Amino acid sequence: MGFSVAAAAAIIVVSVLISVEIMVGSVIPNVEDFNYQFVDLKERAVEQIQTDINITTVDITAYGLNYNHSITIENSGSICLNTSDFVILINGTNQEFSCSVSYLYAMKSAYFNVSNLPGDGPMRLKAITGNGISDIYEYII
Amino acid sequence: MGVSLTGTHVIFFIASVIIASAVSGVFMAVVSDVSSSLSERGERLQEQLDVDFKVINDNENIPDIGGYYYFYMKNIGRGSLITTNETFQLFSDGELISKLNYYFSDSSIKNGEVATICVLNFEIAPGDHTLRVVGPQATEDEFEFTI
Repeated sequence: MGFSVAAAAAIIVVSVLISVEIMVGSVIPNVEDFNYQFVDLKERAVEQIQTDINITTVDITAYGLNYNHSITIENSGSICLNTSDFVILINGTNQEFSCSVSYLYAMKSAYFNVSNLPGDGPMRLKAITGNGISDIYEYII
Repeated sequence: MGVSLTGTHVIFFIASVIIASAVSGVFMAVVSDVSSSLSERGERLQEQLDVDFKVINDNENIPDIGGYYYFYMKNIGRGSLITTNETFQLFSDGELISKLNYYFSDSSIKNGEVATICVLNFEIAPGDHTLRVVGPQATEDEFEFTI
């Protein structure tokens, strides 16, 4: 009788150990990955809080019947921005642009040029950074 | 008498081993299922943390081109987004827009890229509206605009 109890207990203890191993083996890598993603999320949120831009001027020059728009954007936040990630909307429409620099450092300005754009009258410009922070500027041609 | 006592012990021993094995088997199967469910849940949570997008239109100027309103959606999360009307659902003022009435300009966008959501313009009447874009793992963004 005592041997039966010992054998049964041994089997159950071994199965518990195997189960703990299975659990730990699959949960710990998940927790590590989750921690990494959470840190990444936190970094993105902090970057968003530290990002700010300011459209300071828009210079217009005639180009045939159309216009070239030279937009000056200041990085008034505290992180470096990749200018290729910017989006420029003029009167709501996404415009192709070229930029004088690849990276816009904190407290520096960069020129974004939108060329050969038709139309005059009131214009509404929206510039959006790579992480979704934006500024709006209104002007008249 | 001695033989029958030994026989009884052997029967008890075998029975206890069988019951312990059965209990262990069930326990390990349950732990294995729980572990695999936790892994899947963890992967979904990780995906949820990675996915982030934003409608970046000018609220007062929604482009109306060829019978479609254009909404620009920027991927501001990590990794790529599959942008189809199967993975993204649109709600205008809380009403689900039929997936036949909108499409995406690109089937996937990488981090930092912009996809255009083209919505048939009869779906949205002139006036003030809220567009809710619901993406993978129920991540969402709301955008208020005026037509």
